[in-house]
Amino acid sequence: MGAVLRCSGLRKAFGDIQAVDDVGFEIAPGETYGLLGPNGAGKTTSISMIAGLLHPDAGEIEVLGTRMTPRALDAKAAVGLVPQDLAIYPDLTARENLHFFGRLQHMSRHDVRARSDEILEVIGLRERSDDRAGEFSGGMKRRLNIGIGLLHQPRLLILDEPTVGVDPQSRNAILESVEALAVEGLAVLYTTHYMEEAERLCRRIAIVDQGRIVAEGTRRELIDTISEQDIVRLKVAGDVHAAAVACDALPSVSSADAEDDEVVCLLDQAASSLPALLAAVSSVDASVVGVEVREPDLEDVFLYLTGRALRD
Amino acid sequence: MLRAAGLILVKDTRLRVRDRSVWLFAFVVPIGMTFLFSSIFPDTGAIELRAGVVDLDGGEVAAGFVEGVVPALADADVLTEVGFDSEEDARARVTEGEVDAAWVLPAGFSEDVLAGGDARIEVLVAAGRTLPGELARGVADAYARRIEQAGLAVTVQGVLTGGPPDPQLIGAIAAAAADTEELVRVTTDLADRGQPLDAVSYLAAGMAAFFVFFAVQFGVTGLLEERQFGTMSRLLAAPIAPGAIHLGKLLGAFLLGVTSMAVLAVASQQLLGADWGPAPGVAILIVAIVLAAIGVMSLVALFAHTAEQASNFQAVVAVVLGLTGGVFVPVPGDIAALRIITAVSPHGWFLRGLNELSASGQWTTVLPAAGAILLFGAVTAVPAVVVQRRRSSW
Ligand SMILES: Nc1ncnc2c1ncn2[C@@H]1O[C@H](COP(=O)(O)OP(=O)(O)O)[C@@H](O)[C@H]1O
Ligand SMILES: [Mg+2]
Repeated sequence: MGAVLRCSGLRKAFGDIQAVDDVGFEIAPGETYGLLGPNGAGKTTSISMIAGLLHPDAGEIEVLGTRMTPRALDAKAAVGLVPQDLAIYPDLTARENLHFFGRLQHMSRHDVRARSDEILEVIGLRERSDDRAGEFSGGMKRRLNIGIGLLHQPRLLILDEPTVGVDPQSRNAILESVEALAVEGLAVLYTTHYMEEAERLCRRIAIVDQGRIVAEGTRRELIDTISEQDIVRLKVAGDVHAAAVACDALPSVSSADAEDDEVVCLLDQAASSLPALLAAVSSVDASVVGVEVREPDLEDVFLYLTGRALRD
Repeated sequence: MLRAAGLILVKDTRLRVRDRSVWLFAFVVPIGMTFLFSSIFPDTGAIELRAGVVDLDGGEVAAGFVEGVVPALADADVLTEVGFDSEEDARARVTEGEVDAAWVLPAGFSEDVLAGGDARIEVLVAAGRTLPGELARGVADAYARRIEQAGLAVTVQGVLTGGPPDPQLIGAIAAAAADTEELVRVTTDLADRGQPLDAVSYLAAGMAAFFVFFAVQFGVTGLLEERQFGTMSRLLAAPIAPGAIHLGKLLGAFLLGVTSMAVLAVASQQLLGADWGPAPGVAILIVAIVLAAIGVMSLVALFAHTAEQASNFQAVVAVVLGLTGGVFVPVPGDIAALRIITAVSPHGWFLRGLNELSASGQWTTVLPAAGAILLFGAVTAVPAVVVQRRRSSW
């Protein structure tokens, strides 16, 4: 069985802004693929092109072997899109929202009715199915938003930051259902700027920044790009930026960046380098008030690759 | 394509039904405004002819007109009779527009007729008083035709007998001339035929045309609304022809517009006794103005980024076009500059079309006005479509 989605060389510019710059990847059935990057990285723009909403300046998109265009109805029917911003009609009930979008997917009345009941059960809105979506809480709206994307049983589900602005409980429910869907063989394209979500859900992750994929692989592979190295976070009183520069100058330190009142250093051997780090900070009239040493995670990978924090 | 457009249409209709503002704009406010205005403005519908006779002849045949026809018309409420001192007086007062028309019976009128000649009644008409003027001419023509027929009989008799006109026949002519019953009937027919839209119908039609520009905007700004709901991306991602989305929105605008106007036509008839004219002509004009409204509003919507902004722009355009088209205050037809202004408003053409329809009773008379209205639609729709196409992201 080939890839459900295959895209390569995607580019899109809005005026002077190169929103997407040479993005490409493949997703196999049952695989959850993550696009991890900060706001403005180009995740939504990439997804819009993949779903056939936006014309790429360059690049190829294939869904189930069919080229994606606005008129590629088969390719579109295979995709379930859950947009980043809520995409529901507040004056329609949950059931009416599902019904309308299901019918647009060429489902029969009967199928729509049966599937809507299933979906309402899955997203926990069965009791509220005849209430207007406008009256729902933020989390309920989010769940309905996802349910609509699942209704027609797509082969590829695209979730664009589905947990933004969701309470922790709903968020967990969403993550669990995504995991369950992947088990059923659905290919999922999942974008987020939350490292934990990408780590938990995605087999493979592309780290995107300023329109480019700066690294791609499994969580392990990504962390290994900076691995056998340690992360040391120094809480600093005084000039944090000057302290970071001083640390960066040490030969054992591969990178040091200021983050709030901390200097985050990536270095070979934390234990033997600590005295040198403390000395470096003191040399710029600052002092270390706390130290944390740990294994790197995806945020550190992002910081290492881009010099900026994932969340700003 | 049609199936998807239909689904979008049904969905939009459901949303509209729940959103009360559309009922307000499409039905409640226009009917209410018509009620309100109809109680403020007097009914100026019926043609009133203010006219009088100058009799320079004084003969028997002239007497038939002066003593028979004119009082009979006054009795039939078609004419408000005015007395003139002299021909000069009549000419002066007609020129000033103080009276609509004057009939001048020239010296020798009766003699000419009895000699088998033409019966020539001169009709003076005040400038701009087209309809009353036509009525006055119609009266003169009808009278002249009748006595000419009678005069012909006298002449024939004279030729056959070779003698002088039979005094008895002359009496018959005078009697025929004075027999006003048929003439009054002909004249009232003429007055009815020449009658444009009455005030209430004018108001109701004007309000309907004015508010239909607001009614269609719910369809026209539908795309902006889908963007605001975020649902546009889902529609675009659905396996439907991209054109179906536009088609669904336009169909919705069209149906709402036509329904709104049809309801107003019927409601104003039932509640206020209005009469827009023969149904086929009214239907053609309604379809035309709804299409024009969609075209104009689509163009205006292009300049807006949100549905709300679009509504504001559209309100301004609707009010300007409505005002210049005379939906609130009828624009006097006899001032050239104002005629030109109403010619650049689809509302103006709509009301003009209804006026002509009422006046003629023939649905075909609306075609020029309908054509002008559709031209508005086309001129505005074409750039709207071109820009929309260029803007679409694929
Ligand atoms: N329609 C648009 N017009 C202009 N700029 C846009 C548009 N959509 C996105 N951008 C810009 O493209 C970049 C990528 O945006 P986006 O794909 O939304 O990022 P993300 O989803 O990763 O937050 C941003 O700089 C954004 O401002
Ligand atoms: Mg985004």
